[in-house]
Amino acid sequence: MTTRNKTLIGFAIAAVVLGLVPNVVDVLNAPGFYLTFMFTMFFWISQASSWNILTGYSGYFSFGQGAWFGIGVYTTGILAAKNGWPFLVALPVAGLVGGAAGLLLGLVVFRLRRLSGEIFALTTLAVSFVLASVARLTSLIDGGRGIFMTGTPLPEFLGDFRTSMYRMTLVIALLTVLTAYLIFESRLGWGLFSIRDDEQVARGLGVPTFRYKMIALGTNAFFGALMGGVWALQIGFITVEDVFNIRVPLLVILMAVLGGMRHWMGPVVGAAIIYTLTDRLNSAGLADLNQVIIGALLIVLVLGVREGIYLRIRARWVASAVIFFGAMAVLTVFDVTSSLIWDFSYALLITMVMLLIPTPLWERLTPRRIAEPPGDPPPELPVPSGKAST
Amino acid sequence: MDVDLLAQAVVSGVLIGGLYAMMSIGLSLSWGALKIINLAHFTFILIGAYLTYQLTTSFGIDPFLMIVIVFPLFFVAGALLQLFFEWAKVDEFRSLLISFGLFIIFTSLVRTVWTADFRRISSEDNPYASASIFVFGVALQVPLIAAFIAAVVIAVGTSLALSRTHFGRAVRAVVQDAEMARAFGIDPRRVAVILSGLATAYSGLAGVFIAMFQVLSPTMTFAWFGIVFSVVILGGLGSPYGALGAGIIVGVVGGVATVVWGPLSAPLVTFLLLIAALLFRPAGLFRRSTA
Amino acid sequence: MSLLVCKSVSKRFGGIRALNGVSTSIEEHEILGLVGPNGSGKSTLINVLSGLYTADDGEAQFGDLDLLRLAPEKIAAAGVARTFQIPRPFDTMTVRENVSVSYMFGHRRHSLEAARDAASEWLAFTGLEAAADSPVDQLTLHQLKFLELARALATDPTLLLLDEVLAGLNPTEIEQSIEMIRKIHERGITLVIVEHLLRVVTSLSDRIVVLDQGSVIAAGDPTEVMADPAVVAAYLGGRAPDARGA
Repeated sequence: MTTRNKTLIGFAIAAVVLGLVPNVVDVLNAPGFYLTFMFTMFFWISQASSWNILTGYSGYFSFGQGAWFGIGVYTTGILAAKNGWPFLVALPVAGLVGGAAGLLLGLVVFRLRRLSGEIFALTTLAVSFVLASVARLTSLIDGGRGIFMTGTPLPEFLGDFRTSMYRMTLVIALLTVLTAYLIFESRLGWGLFSIRDDEQVARGLGVPTFRYKMIALGTNAFFGALMGGVWALQIGFITVEDVFNIRVPLLVILMAVLGGMRHWMGPVVGAAIIYTLTDRLNSAGLADLNQVIIGALLIVLVLGVREGIYLRIRARWVASAVIFFGAMAVLTVFDVTSSLIWDFSYALLITMVMLLIPTPLWERLTPRRIAEPPGDPPPELPVPSGKAST
Repeated sequence: MDVDLLAQAVVSGVLIGGLYAMMSIGLSLSWGALKIINLAHFTFILIGAYLTYQLTTSFGIDPFLMIVIVFPLFFVAGALLQLFFEWAKVDEFRSLLISFGLFIIFTSLVRTVWTADFRRISSEDNPYASASIFVFGVALQVPLIAAFIAAVVIAVGTSLALSRTHFGRAVRAVVQDAEMARAFGIDPRRVAVILSGLATAYSGLAGVFIAMFQVLSPTMTFAWFGIVFSVVILGGLGSPYGALGAGIIVGVVGGVATVVWGPLSAPLVTFLLLIAALLFRPAGLFRRSTA
Repeated sequence: MSLLVCKSVSKRFGGIRALNGVSTSIEEHEILGLVGPNGSGKSTLINVLSGLYTADDGEAQFGDLDLLRLAPEKIAAAGVARTFQIPRPFDTMTVRENVSVSYMFGHRRHSLEAARDAASEWLAFTGLEAAADSPVDQLTLHQLKFLELARALATDPTLLLLDEVLAGLNPTEIEQSIEMIRKIHERGITLVIVEHLLRVVTSLSDRIVVLDQGSVIAAGDPTEVMADPAVVAAYLGGRAPDARGA
């Protein structure tokens, strides 16, 4: 069986297992915050993965995730809450509006003859600010009054509010990650990687760079806005300040950088780790410390783990699995903490410490065979991990 | 249209443009000359402002005296930061991420020390906040006049230093070719450290002036992002005069937009200006694009 | 029959005329040597023909297409490939991936699976199979130059523009490279070679075009052209011919 089929079966299993979680929670009568915890994680996984399709694959650094997210939030806000559209009709429209906005931006900036990466990054930053100003000024959108989403009816078959949120975010997150994977394993993906490495050379070898960058930006904006559309419900009362701020782009960058921007799984892993960390620090009442830790983590990772945590996990998968599941087992069996979420975060932290050991030191500490995963043949075309992964 | 109001808007726009320039020169130098897109400059301004608030409030120091305290202090901080960047050997992209990390850390430290509450120097400690000079019926706030003068001094001084002095030649040599500069006996590291110290000190000074007439909060940096980046890009990277000119343009455009379309339109107009500049004059308004 | 016909191709950089109305043609299946002193416009011509620079004026007829009006990716799709004097590999990819990507796009579109096999073939042809799965930063300059060749060949070109393939190589490596250029030519690919080592160019080329200050000053049989007084004068006025020897 090819790696591709294996991965697709993996997606199917993940979809079924995760899809059944609300029923399990229901049967076990477990507290509902497990679902909230998970669907917030799905939100971030989707945001980080969609951002990575543009920035990780093509190398065009974007601060614009907040803009796509905000377009999604306001589209469902306006259509569903203000104009009474059925939510599930408004939602895809949110994605499409976001995608169209992304393409519009691309049409302008990617046509520039001398577009440097930094200028692209700052343009995307400026776009969020412009959108915020437009929303604030236009009474049709917000006009400084905000939009109430509470009371927007959701279809019965999705279940109660929490379960509905869980199911919608799960579907979108799976679609985003699946898209990221399919692009990763396609000509489009390789074309984008070549743009990231040397755009001039890529064009000279026949890569249709303009079209590919447009597709990447459009896909990024589409999924960012689609998930934003769902998230309007969770925000409840939509204001410009809550939507178009620096939080979404900040965390998304952090997640993808931490997880690794050169692989489709990187942002997934990064989002899971960063979200768990911030969530736990916030619930422990350490919101400010939280920020300090996140900032420090970003610096340490940019300097120390350039290839990202995900490729480190692959290189040290035995140690990672043993430590993570060992810690989980010990923590749950001896009931050290009050909840599974705490167990999960401690196990993550302990594993992270091991992963932060620099590669040269790690190789001296371990026998050679542990570093090479047996039974995990390289994919059809190996990951574009480059020099950093070896 | 009320002509008096418009005149007032233009004149205050010019003055606040000086402040914008001072807030931007540090980032512009760091980006243009050191190839480090240092987002931490926003927090340097913030910390400069809070430090001014704290020292004037606790010890009754005259706000203007803070200039001589903040400048050397921030110079040293900037020099140390540059040593860190040199040690880490970061490229432009990584510098953006690392300084983003610093930005987050410094912002939350400010929030921890001074809380998220609004802070303002009391009028006893800061007689300048409400002081204005009237020229032809147009009110000019004293802190803004001072900031404008300081910005002009900084822009002219830095420009002269870059064009006329030995240090300036060393900077230009290093920017063009660090290896070649080394061959001529210039230590690129020393040049970078001094330049980073200056850039940081300028940002700290901007904070001093902000503390003199504005209400401080840890999130005020977000509002600065757009303005400062507009000024840096419009002015051209690494150009002190450019930053001054662009600061004044952004200040006037924002002021006029406020009078004509209301206060909320100012950022929108500023960013549209920025986007237009990015599209049509990526090298800045005052420099001929090199083909 | 002419494969490519250039008519008054011009390119200015500011006030400098890098190409001043270059007219020449490239015949099918030939090896054309493009020589001239430093700054004579050889590399600029390659850059204009491959679409890296936009020409100010002129045309370059390649079949029905005018290369000067095409985007670089369209030029590649038309069957024109090039190499860079200073190798520019995709540096987060392995050697094999570099060549695969090139095969996927290039002259015709191919799937990922096909690209893997084709890459092996071109890596074997250029003698890089041992290094196939190494990251590119482990290659020597000589290997990087061959990777440039493998990547250009993988686009399946009818016309290949080689920009100073030999620069920076030692005598043994130069010998191997000349062998490689002959092997490429035997596959029926038309070659334009820009080279400083005149002895190598004259022995390899079927025909030579000499550029000086952006204009063609001589063209034709290698030995005759190199004896042309105008050519000698251009070289003596610029830089001594074949200073580095072969």
